[in-house]
Amino acid sequence: MADIIEMDRIVKIFPPSLVALDAVSVKFSKGEIHAIVGENGAGKSTLMKILYGMQPADSGEMLYNGKKVKFSDPGEAILAGIGMVHQEIMLIPQYTVWENVVLGYEPVKFGGRLDAKKARELVKQKIDEFGFNLNPDAKVEDISVAARQKVEILKLLFRNVSVLIMDEPTSVLTPQEIPQLFGELKRLRDNGHTILFISHHLEEVLELSDRITVLRKGKKVGTIKAVEATKAGLAQMMVGREVIFDSIRKNQTAGEVLFETSGLNYTDPDKRPRLIDVNIQVRAGEIVGVAGVEGNGQLELVNLIMGLIEPTSGSIKAVGEDITRKPILEKRKRVAFVPQDRANMGASIAANIAENVIMTHHRLDQRFTRWAGRILDFKQAASFTDEVRRKFDIQMSSGEAVFKSLSGGNQQKVILGRELLLEAPFILLDQPTRGLDVGSIEYVHQRIIDMRAQKRGILMISADLEELFRLTDRIVVMHKGRVVADLVTEKTNVTEVGYLMLEGAAYEA
Amino acid sequence: MKRKILVNVVGVLLAFLLGAVVMLVQGYNPLETYYRLFEYSLAPGKIAYTLSKSVPLVLTGMSASVAFASGPINLGQPGQLLMGALLATIGGLYIDLPPLLMIPFLLMLAMLGGALWSGVAALLKYWFNMSEFITTLMLNMIADFFTYWAINYPFFEANANHPQTPFIARSGWMPEWGNFNSSVIVMVLAFAVIWFIVNRSTAGYEWRLSGQNSLFSRLGGVNISKNYLVVMLLTGALAGLAGGLVVMAGPHRFIKDIGGNYAWDGVMIAMVANSGIILTLVFGFFFSVLQTGSLGMELITAVPKELIQVLQAVIVLIVVAGRGYFETFFAKLEARRKMRERIA
Repeated sequence: MADIIEMDRIVKIFPPSLVALDAVSVKFSKGEIHAIVGENGAGKSTLMKILYGMQPADSGEMLYNGKKVKFSDPGEAILAGIGMVHQEIMLIPQYTVWENVVLGYEPVKFGGRLDAKKARELVKQKIDEFGFNLNPDAKVEDISVAARQKVEILKLLFRNVSVLIMDEPTSVLTPQEIPQLFGELKRLRDNGHTILFISHHLEEVLELSDRITVLRKGKKVGTIKAVEATKAGLAQMMVGREVIFDSIRKNQTAGEVLFETSGLNYTDPDKRPRLIDVNIQVRAGEIVGVAGVEGNGQLELVNLIMGLIEPTSGSIKAVGEDITRKPILEKRKRVAFVPQDRANMGASIAANIAENVIMTHHRLDQRFTRWAGRILDFKQAASFTDEVRRKFDIQMSSGEAVFKSLSGGNQQKVILGRELLLEAPFILLDQPTRGLDVGSIEYVHQRIIDMRAQKRGILMISADLEELFRLTDRIVVMHKGRVVADLVTEKTNVTEVGYLMLEGAAYEA
Repeated sequence: MKRKILVNVVGVLLAFLLGAVVMLVQGYNPLETYYRLFEYSLAPGKIAYTLSKSVPLVLTGMSASVAFASGPINLGQPGQLLMGALLATIGGLYIDLPPLLMIPFLLMLAMLGGALWSGVAALLKYWFNMSEFITTLMLNMIADFFTYWAINYPFFEANANHPQTPFIARSGWMPEWGNFNSSVIVMVLAFAVIWFIVNRSTAGYEWRLSGQNSLFSRLGGVNISKNYLVVMLLTGALAGLAGGLVVMAGPHRFIKDIGGNYAWDGVMIAMVANSGIILTLVFGFFFSVLQTGSLGMELITAVPKELIQVLQAVIVLIVVAGRGYFETFFAKLEARRKMRERIA
């Protein structure tokens, strides 16, 4: 097949010294679905943004249809026939579908006025042509996220784009919506469109694409045909070594109950019940997973446990003591907490690493202060930071370096190190591996398993079923604020848990 | 660190350059003007005076810096300064102790006055969840009119033809040696204490981290509302101390408009200093150099001293805007170096 785009030795350096793309050369053929995969920070999005004219390359060349091109902004790229659908959907919610589609590219009548009838008709034609199931007159605010994504694609097709770049298109979709999107993308390909597809979900990549280019740390590892690729092989290319996907638990009997919620209810200030009669138990040496589609009460559960909000009724016990309404510091003696939102809840990104590492320790451990807790011992803080660095294998220049200079994986390791070294018997993990690359995820998982071996009790909230099945002893499923199932991991499967997450009702095969 | 100094120095120099352009356009000689400016404020006999004049600027500046760095947007320095000045004056009118006791006593009263006033804002937040950003500004107005009433009626000096109180007791006057006023010593002590609290104490650590990310600190077990109250009281006390010293070092009585523009200049200083304690001291002194020098400048050259206010504002704008710009500038330099390395 003919190459439609050729990117030749593209280099991109983000000031001051991050080499995002290191002489990457890729060829994209006409009429293929070509996936770009890699860990976070591998350079996938940067490569596509350069192609789309959102960022200039520092060196390298691009050929499009055999001609040398350089787009200085996305407008030029669209005119040339290259369009990109971003992760965040950028539409005007109050406008209808057809209004959003024609915006900026409107057919006009005499005198420059919008020809609404013609515009609507043209959009309708496009919808029919590509078999999109969309109502051109629906307001964007009333339609689903999946439909909005279709509108974004339609917008580009309306501008006669022949190359479509999709940046992690499935990240905003629910599991049932994904096959439909894939069907549409395949139809577009069969119509002669070229689709470049950024993702780090390997199953999706294997299912959808014709060819796959793997990037690692700004370098191209290779381009392979999807039919010749396997998940393990791709993962190894991405990470640079073998990655294990199987369960890594060892058999171990659970001890006494370390954490317990009884009859927990929470009604939000708008009088909506968010949690209804939640009962969860975690024993020593046990990992309990909380599965559920986001927004089914997990956030409220975490906030209640940590004391950011108070329950309407019910109680929370940790290590034999009722901590429901205790001050946060009191809770922290028993509860270690790794939040999902590193920048807002897990750290102060403007502070230095040592300052982040000693948080909570500075109140609970007397060795960090002198003069009855009034003066901080900075030497102690520095040596503790070093201890965390060694134990958790953190890449950093020094404890004085500002926290935000760390990569995402290292940031998470700092937070994990701080919390796990608190020696609190109960550990609450909220999406502990969200946004991390495969290598870091593996590391974090190993640490969690270590904590289990140390007989700590762990409650882990995760949207990643694969992760839950790999680590947990039991899985509780949340749906609309209720715990709808409490399952032993070994006696259930992804299908059952997935069904419960979506439907809430007991699964009947 | 070096870079930080560079940003500030370059910012100030650029501001001076702009000031020179303004003077040239108006037909003044900028070199002569600047020479007079610094001669008048930095000459050996003058520097002590300039130092004394920097006291209220540095103290209100530290008040704003500590508040901004810790989270609370305390903009009530003008009111807190006036209340501190008033309380110290009242103490000095009715009580007389030996100087060694009198001076600390009046300084305590001044701090109490400022802390009471910021405490009102803190309570409004606690009870009604009103933002201190609004309440401190409102309380400034109230303090302004309240002190004006106080010096017109209850504490009015009989037969004076100007709203003012009588002199405070002699024992409460800050000792002066030539141009050097001992209020500078108080300022240096206050600076040392504040620096220590912010940089070495557990509380200072918690304030700083809460100022950067309050949710994270709260989850880490920091008592946010207690810290808020303490910071409000402390920064109020600092502004109040400035007020007390203005009275005790200067006219030795509360006269109309005694607060001048010190507190707003202090807020500006905190902004140029990026809420850093040491930089607040440096810029506080520097602003005093400009303000003191402006008198000499006006005396000898024809340039009006209002030009200095323009200069101050330009310094704030350039340094604050430059901070972000220089960061990207240096980052780009670094990237270019890396690019060259790769090619080589």
